Amino acid sequence: MKPTRPVLPKEFVAARKRRRIMDAIAELSAEQGYEATKIGDIVRRAGVARKTLYDNFEGKEEVFLAAIDSALEETLGQVEEACAAAGDEWSDRLEAGLAALLDNLAEHPAEARMCMIDALSATPASGARYDDALHRFVEMMRRNAPRDTGLPETIEDTLAGGIAWILSQQIRRGEVEQAPDLLPELLEFAISPYRGVGKSVK
Amino acid sequence: MERLPRGRHGLSPEFVARNQRERLITGLTQALDEVGYQKTTVSLIGQRAAVSKSDFYKHFESKDACFFAAYEVAVERVRERVTGACAAVADGPWAMRVREGIVALVMLFAGDPALATITLVEGLRAGPSMYDRYQAAVDSFVPLLREGAPAAPDGARVPAARDEAVVGGIASLLGRRVLAGEAERLDELLPDVLEFALLPYLGASEARRIVSAE
Repeated sequence: MKPTRPVLPKEFVAARKRRRIMDAIAELSAEQGYEATKIGDIVRRAGVARKTLYDNFEGKEEVFLAAIDSALEETLGQVEEACAAAGDEWSDRLEAGLAALLDNLAEHPAEARMCMIDALSATPASGARYDDALHRFVEMMRRNAPRDTGLPETIEDTLAGGIAWILSQQIRRGEVEQAPDLLPELLEFAISPYRGVGKSVK
Repeated sequence: MERLPRGRHGLSPEFVARNQRERLITGLTQALDEVGYQKTTVSLIGQRAAVSKSDFYKHFESKDACFFAAYEVAVERVRERVTGACAAVADGPWAMRVREGIVALVMLFAGDPALATITLVEGLRAGPSMYDRYQAAVDSFVPLLREGAPAAPDGARVPAARDEAVVGGIASLLGRRVLAGEAERLDELLPDVLEFALLPYLGASEARRIVSAE
């Protein structure tokens, strides 16, 4: 006996709804800010029942944090993958990772704004997510960079912070879709300090 | 904070009002340093300033209004100090001006953690209405770095956003350390910050030489 319409597994439907709720808060906070976004707006945008939201999340902040975590994991994952695939030369890995980051931001403008702008001021916990993500990018750059360069220990902190600053301005100008155009100058900014100091730098 | 004497004191109302306003601004700056923006309340500001809640509202219509005023005062202090330090060696080479400016910047923050907190941390976290001010404040330091800057070493291409990225990178490093509760130790970062600022313009060896000459 065949069902008259395809029956999707329950878990699949539940995961899809969870996803839609997280996408909705990303869009809404990008459009109107976190503060102004109400639970009613989120369920309407996601097309789910209020009860579904509360079955999955404790409230607005949990939705927001889950959406940030999901977006950050995806971005960090793509950047790491791109670096790993780029081969042995550290500057090639840096370029691939930076390109992956810029592409990811450009493809997900709402998530970009949520993670790099709104997260900072929405709640203390979301601010901590931002700090943690920036820290992970710093560590990634540090692991990748040439060693024993004699450069300041904090060089990757300032470089990652400078890149994050330029990107957040790009997002605030509403030009995040053009973020990939920034690749040549951000790459030059991130590589130039190592030029002539690290043996493996080309 | 020093309160004014109670009762009859012969101080002019204008003096009292100005003194209260200044105390509220200092009170908010202290409160932010203690508990952060979200947990700072009008009551707490009033307590720190020794000013009643009703007097608070004679000066500011909200916590945000007080925050904006305090932020402007704080940024102006930083700008004055840095600009002054640069101006003192206005005839010297670019690198010397940058060095003096950065020394002044870092030492000012290291000596005044509450000032570092409001300008470097809370300005970025106090919400959308604050963000423009934070950006304007950061941007206002860019010309100090850009003016008279040498072309990149070895004729390398100069990235258009380089100066903004340098200033933003310094603000980011200092802000993260302040957030980690290390404001008093910012002075330890002075060589790093200086070298980072000079690097893109002078190249690694020249930047190192200037930093080592400290």
